[in-house]
Amino acid sequence: MVRVLDYQWEWDIIPGYFLFRDPATGRLQPNMLLLGFLTTIKLSAWSMVLAFFLGTVSGVMGAKGGFPSRLISRFYVETARNIPSLVLVILFYYFVSSQFLDALGLDIWLRSQSDTMQRMVSFFLADTGQINAFVSAAVALGIYEGAYISEIVRGGINSISAGQWEAAWSIGLSPFNTFRLVVLPQAFRKVAFPMAGQFISTIKDSAIVSVISVQELTFQGMELMAATFLTFEIWITITVLYFVLTFSLSRSISFVEKRMAIRQ
Amino acid sequence: MKNIGCALLAVVLLSYTTCLAGELGDQLAKESIVEKIQKTKVIRVGMSTFVPWAMKDKQGKLIGFEIDVARQLAQDMGVAVEFVPTAWSGIIPALMTGKFDVIIGGMGITPERNLKVNFTMPYDYSGMSMVAHKKKADGFSTLADFNKKEVDIAVRMGTTAEQAARKYLPNARLRLFENESQALQELNLGRVHAVVSSAPMPVFHSLKYPDKLFVPLKENFTKEPIGFAIRKGDHDALNYFNNWILNARAQGFLAEKKAYWFESRQWEDLVK
Repeated sequence: MVRVLDYQWEWDIIPGYFLFRDPATGRLQPNMLLLGFLTTIKLSAWSMVLAFFLGTVSGVMGAKGGFPSRLISRFYVETARNIPSLVLVILFYYFVSSQFLDALGLDIWLRSQSDTMQRMVSFFLADTGQINAFVSAAVALGIYEGAYISEIVRGGINSISAGQWEAAWSIGLSPFNTFRLVVLPQAFRKVAFPMAGQFISTIKDSAIVSVISVQELTFQGMELMAATFLTFEIWITITVLYFVLTFSLSRSISFVEKRMAIRQ
Repeated sequence: MKNIGCALLAVVLLSYTTCLAGELGDQLAKESIVEKIQKTKVIRVGMSTFVPWAMKDKQGKLIGFEIDVARQLAQDMGVAVEFVPTAWSGIIPALMTGKFDVIIGGMGITPERNLKVNFTMPYDYSGMSMVAHKKKADGFSTLADFNKKEVDIAVRMGTTAEQAARKYLPNARLRLFENESQALQELNLGRVHAVVSSAPMPVFHSLKYPDKLFVPLKENFTKEPIGFAIRKGDHDALNYFNNWILNARAQGFLAEKKAYWFESRQWEDLVK
């Protein structure tokens, strides 16, 4: 019999890399893969927050700003979209973050804080030793994804017909109030779902930051493979984890989308 | 016009960051890391997973020869140790930009690397060995057998294994991988003839798959010194680490650890 893949499968030890029982205390502890999975979620969440903020500001500037605002928005979007995310992440980590983050001394400040404070930061962000890499990864990803969000927002605002502006003007609303009360609510309904899709792709793109040694799912998996040589088991497990995360998100989004469509 | 403006701005920004990176190097060199470590009470050690130098056990704790060395070093300095697992291909840039204080990661001392970083005196010696596929490399027993055009060799990118393969097997086709496990996978699937890597990994791996793999060369074909790597210009740190290594060797600490991690296989149960 010809075996296509000559490989000894060893699935039985994989669950131990999610949770293990601490021999000293007898309590269940999260292990590398679970920790990596949680880091991926934290990282994606923070980059999404930043991308949402940056993208909205830049999108509004691009759609309704004067010439300088439009130029800035264009510059940001075209720069971020035309650099591979891998290159952006590396540039950001080695050059930009070395200047600003390390100069800020975030990790040194954190080390001098109490244990409770350090644990809180570790819960929401990353461990003290990892904080600089984590922040620089989240910011780089946020900048990258923000450019796409910016285009989505700009498209949403531009899709509101000129008649809406004229109608608002004719009932005496100021330009700012027109924007705030008439255009933005309509635009946001239109862009909510493409934006949610962009957030899902942030989760997938977050695998890239493994190159700057942020301990997210892909990095932890690669470390584990280097130690155990269980290449296929671990890659398959990682694939399933990413899929479960993004698929459940995309299902819940389309569920909400349907509900919203009925209400309208 | 707009495009020209954008391009100009990009050029200015890029050159600005490059200048800043240069300044940062100077600034880091001013203060010795030995003082910084004393002040912050923590030594940050850059490393990368390499069995059995550094790896994670079943509980996710770091273990290995390098880990023991770094822990002992930190204990002797009276500070805590913090390991920074880093992708091997980016470990020297990460050291130079101050992501950690020292590389204790089984790094071979080479003239090329030495142009970028300073090395301590060697605390260990390693050598290149090879594990080959029984069917593909049937009857191969010398380096000359592998040094042929139709032979494929897999190595981990950016390692001294890559350099050794280029030097001793210039005619063979090299396949470069980011991680050792990927190179070994390629070998297990029979897509390459052999994997070149630092001893003792090739021997361990052939013992794991005895019906498929074998070690063609009886002895290591290179001998290379292994040292700590630190940023250039820090003579205090160099002096401190050199003398620490002298002491550790004199007290038998290094020999004892080497025997445990490289000659015995008692630690195998810890990993799997």
